[in-house]
Amino acid sequence: MADFDAIVVGSGMSGGMSAKELTERGLKVLVLERGPEIIPERDYVDNLAPWESPNLDNVAQDEIAEHYPKQYGGVAYAIKESNKNFWVKDDEHPYEEAEGTSYDWLRGYHTGGRSIMWSRQVYRLSNLDFNANKTDGYGIDWPIRYEELEPWYEKVETFIGIAGSAEGLPQLPDSVFQPAFELTDAEKALKANVETTFPERNVIPARIAHLTDATEEQQSLGRTNCQVRNRCHFGCSFKAYFSSLNATLPAAEKTGNLTMVHNAIVSSIEYDAETNRVTGVRIVDAETNEKRLYTSKVIFLNASTIASAMILLQSKSEAFPTGLVNRSDQVGRNLMDHVSGAGAAGMISGFENQKVFGRRPSGGIYIPRYANLNGQDKPYLRGFGFQGGSSPVGNAGGQIPGIGRDFKEAHKNPGPWRINMLAFGEQLPNPENRVTLHTSKRDRWGNPLALLNVTYSDNERTMQAEAIKDAVAMLEAAGCTDIVTNDASLSKPGNRIHEMGAARMGHDPASSVLNHWCQAHDVPNLFITDGSFMASSACQNPSLTYMAFSARAAHYAADLIADGTI
Amino acid sequence: MRTRREVLQGLIVSIGGASALTACGGVANVLSTRPGSAPRFYTSAEHALVTRISDLIIPRTETPGAVDANVPGYMDGLMTDWANSETKNAHRTALRQIKSELDKLARGNFLDASDSVAGHSLAAFDAAAFEQNGDASGYKRMKGYVSQSFFATEEGATEELKWVAVPGRWDPSVEISS
Repeated sequence: MADFDAIVVGSGMSGGMSAKELTERGLKVLVLERGPEIIPERDYVDNLAPWESPNLDNVAQDEIAEHYPKQYGGVAYAIKESNKNFWVKDDEHPYEEAEGTSYDWLRGYHTGGRSIMWSRQVYRLSNLDFNANKTDGYGIDWPIRYEELEPWYEKVETFIGIAGSAEGLPQLPDSVFQPAFELTDAEKALKANVETTFPERNVIPARIAHLTDATEEQQSLGRTNCQVRNRCHFGCSFKAYFSSLNATLPAAEKTGNLTMVHNAIVSSIEYDAETNRVTGVRIVDAETNEKRLYTSKVIFLNASTIASAMILLQSKSEAFPTGLVNRSDQVGRNLMDHVSGAGAAGMISGFENQKVFGRRPSGGIYIPRYANLNGQDKPYLRGFGFQGGSSPVGNAGGQIPGIGRDFKEAHKNPGPWRINMLAFGEQLPNPENRVTLHTSKRDRWGNPLALLNVTYSDNERTMQAEAIKDAVAMLEAAGCTDIVTNDASLSKPGNRIHEMGAARMGHDPASSVLNHWCQAHDVPNLFITDGSFMASSACQNPSLTYMAFSARAAHYAADLIADGTI
Repeated sequence: MRTRREVLQGLIVSIGGASALTACGGVANVLSTRPGSAPRFYTSAEHALVTRISDLIIPRTETPGAVDANVPGYMDGLMTDWANSETKNAHRTALRQIKSELDKLARGNFLDASDSVAGHSLAAFDAAAFEQNGDASGYKRMKGYVSQSFFATEEGATEELKWVAVPGRWDPSVEISS
């Protein structure tokens, strides 16, 4: 007799959705979270005023060097003194990088995982993306197309809440939207000029997982409309942006079917060769080092792709000597992220007498992919989208000339305005980009360290170089002046925090780990619905897709349990 | 350990602060140094320089200025509690260079100069810094500390930025009334 119907490893973006859907189907679910519990009422720090945080809310420089060199180096904009506990200490959770490579593995270990620190941009994939591998031959064909996923996107979007605008773009299907955050007049000017000069390009409001017209279901979970504070990286006491802590986990809790265990670091998954089923999860308690085994009928891995791959690789048996469900040798391979770094900013005139009210969260504009939409017409494969926005410069943190009254009052008359845009591009799947287990180094709980070996290809480099040219051309079309580009280097692999692909789905068990249900080819009661299943990265922010696949897989697994298949 | 708010409530500005507080109706101040105690990072001379420059960059107008909001004390806290040794040394070196240049412009000790002379000296120095004449990074960084510290205080945030904790709505196009 198993302890639970299902075990979900990880409580973040996809784990929360898996848990919600499984519990709502009546299954008894255990969620294992490797970090400590976050209680919003106790641990969110979003209500601190600027003057209530010491030192401009900066983390002391020596503390950064000691504990957060990777995390802070990757996302300095998000790590502050008041919320630093949302990010792991690098010295407590180390990893290794292959010689000559560098990787940003940016994480938070606690209830909700990175869903409480994410940047909340959400976009559907389209058949342009699901056909990509088959079209150009990189990676393997996705075993699914958009039409099969569409109802699951709708289901997830209706629950999480997305502010956005219907645009009817085939490469970026519309979601179920609540009202968008309106563009600024400077952004509207950019939109008009860009869309006139480049008819194949569109400037649209960023699509973000914020409530702007909360439904009864959302309100029943204690969620309210976004208060436009832009304090999202500190948690949200209004629960206005989606996180598993704000939404899916409370929904799962309401069913009475959820059990959560914190500080549970998974060491391995138990496999029974006789039944060809996974039977349980071995964990070590992060605080006490106690080792425990939890059993269940079905297991969902939602630990994030690097961690999920490591758990599989650590789970060796006679049947799977190189790691659980790794007969294809694809576990840990094809690790992808989005490539970024290419962007530009420029000053736009004509709006000096305008300012904004409210602090708009996350992005302002999104420029959906326009490259290679109808055949290959660029010197690179696939494409990228731009994220950006506009804002008045104000006194630019003191970096404008002048002293005295005029300088002081620059904030009252905050123009001129600056527009910026930054490319997020697709990274091609490459089996040599991978995570493996370090052969000798282990963490304090006895688990092997991750060894990350990821580099970009010429396609990513060419794409980003072209993206800079495109960004400049669009800003010029909008009449911008003083245009600057940030073309020094590409973002490090991992830096966009969209890691994915290390247990890809495919048609053929010989070349893929999962089938189109996110179900392991080799073991039918094992599902992986974090970013691991992604057969290609597309260029859209991926969390929405992880959740849609999670919901779909959860219902499929529940069906299999119900009919006695697993 | 007392909270920051508790610390602040018990403090007064050590240099010119008491009168400033009275003049401004007792605005709550953000300090990083204990009342009556010497700055923890700055020497007396450095503190005097930082205070004078802060006051010139963000003076009291109809609203509190940098000294009213105890920006020098805030910066002393930044240097003590946030900065590493490299940043501290760079800031200290910058202050020496700034003082030397301002003395030249003021044709004497900048700290003894009249308001008019001091203001003109710093305005000229600031203009040159932003025209990229030589390495002005130390001054620009310091000006950033002054500005960011000021707007992180309650006075700077609420009275100058019109910062509100919960805007509750987004208006992307607000006409600025003259």
